[in-house]
Amino acid sequence: MSLKLLWIQCGGCGGDTWSFFNAASPNVIELFNFFEIELLWHPTISMNSQNSLVSITEAVTSGACELDVLCIEGSILRGPGGTGRYDEIHGKPKKDLVASLASRARHVLAIGTCASYGGIGANTEIEATGLQFLKEEKGGFLGEAFKSGSEQPVINLPGCPCHCDVIAGALAAIVSGAQLKLDKYNTPEEWYGMMVHQGCTRNEYHEYRVEERKFGEKGCMFFHLGCHGPLVRGPCNKVLWNDRSSKTRVGVPCFGCTRPDFPQQYPFFQTRNIEGIPIELPEGISRAHYMAYKGMAAAAAPKRLKTRKTGI
Amino acid sequence: MTQKKIHFYPLNRVEGDLEVRIQVEDNVVSDAWSAGIMYRGFENLLIGRAVLDGLVLTPRICGICSTSHLKAAAKALDMFYNVKLPNNAIRIRNVTLMAEKIQNDFRHAFMLFMVDFTNPVYRRHSLFDEAVRRYQPLSGETTVQTIAETQKMLEIIAILGGQWPHSSFMVPGGVVCVPSSNDLTQCLFLMRNFRKWYEHRVLGCKIERWADVKSAAGLDDWLHEAESHAQSDLGFYIRFAQEAGLKEIGKSYGNFISFGSLDLPDDTKVKRPGKSSQFISPGFYHNLKLATFDQNKITEDVSHAWFDDSNGGRHPFDGDTRPYATGKESGKYSWAKAPRYDQRPAETGPLAEMVVASDPLIMDFIKNGGPSVFVRQLARLIRSAHLIPVVEQWLEETVGCNEDFYQDHRKKENGEGYGLLEAPRGALGHWVKIKDAKIQKYQIITPTAWNASPRDASGFRGPCEEAIVGTEIKDPDNPVEVDHIIRSFDPCLVCTVHSVNI
Repeated sequence: MSLKLLWIQCGGCGGDTWSFFNAASPNVIELFNFFEIELLWHPTISMNSQNSLVSITEAVTSGACELDVLCIEGSILRGPGGTGRYDEIHGKPKKDLVASLASRARHVLAIGTCASYGGIGANTEIEATGLQFLKEEKGGFLGEAFKSGSEQPVINLPGCPCHCDVIAGALAAIVSGAQLKLDKYNTPEEWYGMMVHQGCTRNEYHEYRVEERKFGEKGCMFFHLGCHGPLVRGPCNKVLWNDRSSKTRVGVPCFGCTRPDFPQQYPFFQTRNIEGIPIELPEGISRAHYMAYKGMAAAAAPKRLKTRKTGI
Repeated sequence: MTQKKIHFYPLNRVEGDLEVRIQVEDNVVSDAWSAGIMYRGFENLLIGRAVLDGLVLTPRICGICSTSHLKAAAKALDMFYNVKLPNNAIRIRNVTLMAEKIQNDFRHAFMLFMVDFTNPVYRRHSLFDEAVRRYQPLSGETTVQTIAETQKMLEIIAILGGQWPHSSFMVPGGVVCVPSSNDLTQCLFLMRNFRKWYEHRVLGCKIERWADVKSAAGLDDWLHEAESHAQSDLGFYIRFAQEAGLKEIGKSYGNFISFGSLDLPDDTKVKRPGKSSQFISPGFYHNLKLATFDQNKITEDVSHAWFDDSNGGRHPFDGDTRPYATGKESGKYSWAKAPRYDQRPAETGPLAEMVVASDPLIMDFIKNGGPSVFVRQLARLIRSAHLIPVVEQWLEETVGCNEDFYQDHRKKENGEGYGLLEAPRGALGHWVKIKDAKIQKYQIITPTAWNASPRDASGFRGPCEEAIVGTEIKDPDNPVEVDHIIRSFDPCLVCTVHSVNI
């Protein structure tokens, strides 16, 4: 039996769609074929004109057409003043279309941080919100009590953009009927149960507190350059990007783009600290122990790390 | 009696949301309005933020050209800090920008534009079945290959920049990465592999043979010279377009703008085109003449966009963004502003780049018949023939060069800067003012803002609107001619409507 999928783009950049196209094995086409996914509509890929979205929407809302998976990319724009006029489709607020489709869908996936938590534009004049969260707060556009046809909340797949393996994996789980175990932000533990820095090639530098203050070096970026790798959940350094690398591996700090508060309100590329130790420490760590550990680690750092003589 | 009817025409298979209204009289479009229908207002996100924050936030404007926004943001800060880039940094920035352009050109061509050749309107076209075989969404032979092949370009960006889309590996002073010679060699392999596909599948010949095509007659000779030329996707495009009459539609003004792009490193074998210090020259082409480009002549008009227009058209350093949702009655109809150069609308993109560079093949079409859907899309298909050898050259030069990739700079708290370049869809500019080490003003003009702009105060339509007017429509309920014209500009509304004056 084929799975009917509908993909709507709201207040976003289209980056999750293109990230999905990064998938190589299987790629998007192979994935749809393997799992017999029938794409009812996607704004960028579909041959059908936008007018056919109107008839598809009518068929879904009247119950004539079953909707197995609704993918929402981008935030729900409620501005100005709750009218939704900053994002319209066919002369009507797009948020209304999302609400009516979500009420008929068996599964609803929030693809990316904007759809999950509001992301770029949350708490600004455009009144952006995620589907079931606004930043850390439950509720969002559809409300805390919302359940899709499968009795599940919106499954959040954050990331800016969301990694292609996460999108593909979530669809695969739905097809096979596997229950994804969700954490408190309704993200699947499969991909959000690990820290971004797990697997980072700079981990040895991190371990011995060999920390960088300027760009273009090989050491760790956690203490001074604003890296969120040890603080934020995500599979970037396990699954890698474009099958090749990750931001932290090449020397770009992790900006915590999977976290509900992304984008952070304090400056990027700087670590907020107290006496040289980051204000925010990895989950569950006592500050006193961490300071003692980091002091000893720095003292134990081997010369080859202090002189950056490693081939990473 | 003539019948006048307005058709409301929302468009998919473009990046973002675009709605076009066309007024049709006796099957001819007599007027057109193109509207961006989403506003994301980045300005409040950036104003008051730290100097470097644009490097993280502005790439998120666009999911398909985030590297271009990153580079424009970094260039604006290079100017602010007055820092000179090491040659390796220039090369890495250029290589990644070019890789992004190359992937975009083919995804646009084969996944968005050519799909219209499978429109049932073309049932009787002699090449219809073959078009379906090649470009059917998610199953066409070329489509399937394009998805796999364009990934190679993004792997290059990931090796050097960590990920695509949405990395922030360019910073004022250079790039943060220190690629090993193996990393660079991997990039070179990926590029050479891609070149093989481009030559085999898209051109049907070596880039060197293609470079000899210098006129419309030369193009015709090339097409008939070998079966591989006629059967390539480029050859197929030319044959399909001929029968479909794509040379006869989508003319527009014939004004072209290029901001110039790809600064040349001091020490390079890549040839300098004319006097320009960039591989892609800046310029403004109007009335069949090329004028020197001066960024001071850029203004943005909001008379027909949903923004407060009490201040008139302004240069981006002086502009502001105050959304003003008045509805349709005020004459305002778009969330996209109307950029103008020397008070004139201008189109931008691969065609404009080649016009400004006086490319002989392209100029033959421009001077004999003028711009059209055909030549606009042709430029996009052949641009990579210019870019690929240069990417290879710069990668080779970097492998052998032990210099730095980053130059540190002094702290600075007040000043301004701008970063201009040619993104996949054409001229992109970021203008930033810094006060007390915080962003005081940030403005962006995107390529689609030029192309899909609404009218201005003088009543000039945007280039895309102008290109639609006068078109004969065979079936008003399925106006494929309008699809071709709009998609030939490769509009990217996610950029435009988000970025109106960040």
